[in-house]
Amino acid sequence: MASVGEAIFFAVMLVVGVVGIVIGIARLVVPEWRANHTFAEHTCTIVEGRVVEVQGEKGVLYRPEIKIEYEVEGVTYSPSTFDVHHTPLGSRDEAQAVVDRFPNGATCPCWYDPADPSIAVLVRGYQWWIWPALLVPVSFIAIGLGGLVYTALYWGKSVERRAAAARQVSAAELFDLAAAADPRFPCIPSCSEITSSPGTRLAYRLPLVESPGWTLFGLLAASIAWNGAVSVFVIMAVRSVLRGSPDWLMMLFIVPFLGVGVALVAVFARHLRHTAGIGPTLLEISDHPLLPGRNYRLFMSQSGNLTLKSVAIWLICEEEAVFRQGTNARTETREVVRQAVFSASDAVIRPSEALEAECDLFVPADAMHSFRASHNQIQWKLVVCSEVVGWQSFQRSFPLVVRPTGGSDTSTEARP
Amino acid sequence: MNEPEVFIRLDDDGRPYAPGTTLSGEYRLDGVDSANVQAVEVSVLWHSEGKGDEDLAVHEFWRKDAEALGDPRRPERFSTTLPQSPLSYEGQIVKIHWCVRARVIFKRGRDLVAQKVFRLGNVPPARPPVAVKPEENIGVIP
Repeated sequence: MASVGEAIFFAVMLVVGVVGIVIGIARLVVPEWRANHTFAEHTCTIVEGRVVEVQGEKGVLYRPEIKIEYEVEGVTYSPSTFDVHHTPLGSRDEAQAVVDRFPNGATCPCWYDPADPSIAVLVRGYQWWIWPALLVPVSFIAIGLGGLVYTALYWGKSVERRAAAARQVSAAELFDLAAAADPRFPCIPSCSEITSSPGTRLAYRLPLVESPGWTLFGLLAASIAWNGAVSVFVIMAVRSVLRGSPDWLMMLFIVPFLGVGVALVAVFARHLRHTAGIGPTLLEISDHPLLPGRNYRLFMSQSGNLTLKSVAIWLICEEEAVFRQGTNARTETREVVRQAVFSASDAVIRPSEALEAECDLFVPADAMHSFRASHNQIQWKLVVCSEVVGWQSFQRSFPLVVRPTGGSDTSTEARP
Repeated sequence: MNEPEVFIRLDDDGRPYAPGTTLSGEYRLDGVDSANVQAVEVSVLWHSEGKGDEDLAVHEFWRKDAEALGDPRRPERFSTTLPQSPLSYEGQIVKIHWCVRARVIFKRGRDLVAQKVFRLGNVPPARPPVAVKPEENIGVIP
């Protein structure tokens, strides 16, 4: 059941957010809006300008302060001002450049607050950083409000009652199209991704669990990002050498990072060579989803330009459990079925002549069906493992869905 | 008065249920002061056990509020058609258990919960796989 602690936590988040947004609006938005809409235009004389150092969170900042003089209804005012927020700038030069725009003794326009004529500004306008700054309290409000609604909805409700309410529309089905499976088979993943591609020899061409193209792309992106970041330090180190005052400490510091960068490029190059040389592995199956105790035909095609020491196809069932350990989510997998489907050795593959083979695939009669829930899964797959002469061995996985017998319309016959 | 207890009885107790068949039974409360009962909830549900965090889903759910409760000692019947999946499973790190769970929610004090486990389907427990060596050659390259 939703706890009092949860309610207090979300209420505090909401209060902090509301207080933050009120302060933000009162101190940032309203003064800026008033300066732009209600301040009265006037002229003033520049008395003097100076740069004031202020201590910011990340060090010293520089605020331009222009002392001006003007008269309203017979009263003379001489505030030090610039903009309504008294915004400090990052460098002394920037602040000085602002001060230099207002030479002593010059006459220029200003805007004063009719409610308090001692307040005036020399520039008006809107500052973009105010709105992202307001996102912080807004996110507190969203989390607090959402949490309170959640707590109110589940207050005093048992875990079973909550689960019964959740089964109406599961979040997984809302956001994950692949999870929108056949309602006759709860918790069994959809087959649509697997049966969406027809085969040339058999009914369906199985998709890969992970395309080698994506791995390559990931490695390339990682290499570029890592080496790009490291190159900044390398350039700094080279410059220090060219200046004649080598920064040995920095050079020592970047050596391991440079090593990781070179290793990333080497891994990418090896994968590229593999992907280009090995060629695609195709698996086609006579029917899908699979049923325990049934026999299916399987067709394999391996293209490329290589000599295989051995090739084997395995039918594998894996359990996968996701659990929380501290603040981390960890995943553990355990193989519970490993069945050889096909094996062969010493095959030469040429670009014009792919290795092709057909074989039977028998699903064990007492096999557990595929299963997918939020934290636990049972996954079936076919894995093609190849040992290549002169190359690193490789394997490619193809997911399958096994349904329990009953309620299926498959026509594949049981093994005699 | 006796300690409060909930008794659940299944009509085909101890026998695995096939998917799509009817599960029926009854529950009865004993030693419960009906004036202190806010509601009684009965669910047919599965939940996971093992290495991963718990998953739980309710297949059927009935709730009787205090006004609808008669004599709590009188057995109340329930019945539902079981789904095709997930089947009961004793895996290495993932286990799926089906049960009928009765929860008595009191106006004051902690809930009283009892459950009766049953098997859906007849999948045998998983064992660590014994890999068949690929050298045994199941297929051949034409």
